[in-house]
Amino acid sequence: MLKIDCQMVEKVLVAFIKDSVIKNGFHNAIIGVSGGLDSAVVLALCRKALGSRHTFALLMPYRASAPESLSHGELACATFKVGYEVIDISPAVDAYFDRYPTASKVQLGNKCARERMSVLYDHSVRRKALVAGTSNKSELLVGYSTQFGDSAAAFQPIGDLYKTQVFELARHLGVPGDIIAKKPSADLWPGQTDEGEIGIPYTDLDVILHLMVDRRWDEGEIIERGFPLPLIRRIRAMMINSQFKRTMPPVAKLHARTIGIDFRYLRDWNK
Amino acid sequence: MKVRAVQFSPALGHVEKNLEFHAEQAAHAVKDRQELVVFPELSLSGYHLKDIAPDAALKPNGREWRRLEKMSRGIDIIAGAPVEEDPGIIVNAALYFSRGRLRHMHRKVQLPNYGMFEERMIFKPGEGFHAFKIGGFKAGILICREILFPMLAYLYFLQKTDLLIGISNSPQRGIGKDGISSFQLWETMGYVFSQFYHQNYLFVNRVGFEDGIGFGGGSFFARAGLGIVQKAKYVDADVLDAEVRSADVRRARLASGYLRDEQPGLVLQEMRRILHA
Repeated sequence: MLKIDCQMVEKVLVAFIKDSVIKNGFHNAIIGVSGGLDSAVVLALCRKALGSRHTFALLMPYRASAPESLSHGELACATFKVGYEVIDISPAVDAYFDRYPTASKVQLGNKCARERMSVLYDHSVRRKALVAGTSNKSELLVGYSTQFGDSAAAFQPIGDLYKTQVFELARHLGVPGDIIAKKPSADLWPGQTDEGEIGIPYTDLDVILHLMVDRRWDEGEIIERGFPLPLIRRIRAMMINSQFKRTMPPVAKLHARTIGIDFRYLRDWNK
Repeated sequence: MKVRAVQFSPALGHVEKNLEFHAEQAAHAVKDRQELVVFPELSLSGYHLKDIAPDAALKPNGREWRRLEKMSRGIDIIAGAPVEEDPGIIVNAALYFSRGRLRHMHRKVQLPNYGMFEERMIFKPGEGFHAFKIGGFKAGILICREILFPMLAYLYFLQKTDLLIGISNSPQRGIGKDGISSFQLWETMGYVFSQFYHQNYLFVNRVGFEDGIGFGGGSFFARAGLGIVQKAKYVDADVLDAEVRSADVRRARLASGYLRDEQPGLVLQEMRRILHA
C-alpha cells in the first residue's frame, strides 16, 4: 500500500531541493546528520541536487549519545562524499543543566535537539547555506519531534514520506546497510527507540496514518482493515494534540489584514 | 502549422520577470521558424496567487498587454494570466495574441476550490467555450481542470475544432509504486480527445515549485486519432515542438465517424428532460 516509485520520488525531491536553495539565492545546504536513516537520506538527496561541494554535514553528539551514532554519521558522509564537522554539544548542554538541574529525560532531549538546531543555524550563516530538514511524515503527524528543535528547517525534503517509505528510498539511494538495519532512534538516551516511545511499530502506524490522512477513511473502515479501535483513537489523539507543532503561532487579530490569517502570501512570493 | 510548448517555472507574482522570459522564448521560437508558441496556465504570474492576484493581474491595454501585442507581431502566442477586465474583477485567462493584437480570450469556467486549490476566492468564472481561428485551424482552449470535464471538450468537438489546446498548472500528487497518479490523469484525457473527439491536442503544463507544491510538467502532443505521439519531460523544464496537420483530423473523422454520428440534438433533448425532471 505504501510502496513508492523511488526513481520518481528521487527526481521530484532532487528538483525540490535545487529549487528551494537556488530560488532563495543560495547554493549550499547544511544538514544535521544524526547517524540515523532520515538524515542519511536527506544527505544523499542534497548531494544529488547540489553536488558534493555545496552540501555540508554537522555531526553533533552529546556525551550520552550512542557511539555508533557518530560512526554511522561519518559512514553516511563518507558514502555520499560530503564534508562534515563534528561538534560536541555536551559542554553547552551540561553548562545549562549545571545551573538548572533536571531529572526529566524529555527536558534533556528537547534541550539537545534545540542546541543542535542553534548550532546548525549558526553554521548555516557561516557557510551561506540553508538548513535542510530531516523530518518524515510519520513523526510530523504524531508530533514526535521537538518544536524549534529537530523540526526547524528552511525546507523539508522528506516531510511527505512515511517512515516505511523513507526506508524504501534509503535502499534505492544506497544508504549503508548498517544505518538501514538499526532500529530508528532519536538517541536522546541509551536504549531509546522511536517505536518504543511512540508505542506502535512504524509498519502499523504508517498504514493507519495513510488511511486516515491521505485516504480519509473513517474509524469503521480502518477497523475492518484489522486495526483495533483504541489504537486508531490513540493515533488520532496524537495527531490532534500535536497540531500546534505543525503551524505558526496564532496572531491576535486586530487590523483588517493579519499575518497568518488574511495576509495571504506564499513564502515563494516573487521568487 | 509548427507549434511549440514551453514548459517552465514562472516566478510567483513576478510578472516583469515572467514577461521577459516570454519575450525570450518568443524570439527563440521565431528563430526556429515556429508559428505558435504556447505557455502554461498563469504563465505570467505563477499559480498560488492568494493576495498577490490584484497586483499581478494584467489590465487590458496595460503595459504588459501592449508588450504581448508587440511580441505577437513575430509569432502567435498563447499565454496564461490573471486579467482584471473590470475594476476589482479578475479572471483566470488564456490569451491568444496574433499579428499584433489579442484575437481570443478564454476565461476559465471550472475553478477548482478544494484541498490546496482556492481559485474561487480569487477569480470570477468564465461563461463559455468559443472556438476561434489560429491560422488555418479552428481551435479551442481548455484551462487545467476544464480538461478533466470531457463534456467541455465535447463543446469544441461540436464546433468542429481541429486543434485543442489545454494549458495547465497541475500539481504533481498521488505517489505510489507506479509513479505519480496525476500524470496519468492528463494523459488519459489526451487519449480521449485524440481518439474520440478527433482533436490534435497540445497539453502544456508547468514545472517548478511553489512552497513545496511541485508542478509535474509532462506536456504532450496527441495527434488526431493516434493518441499521444510526443511528450516533454516530467518535473524538469522542457520545450516540445509539434507539427499540427489538419489532414489527421479528416482521416480520424473518416475512420471512426464519431463526429458524423454525433446527435447533439438528442443530447440536448435528454439534457432538458434530465434537468427538468
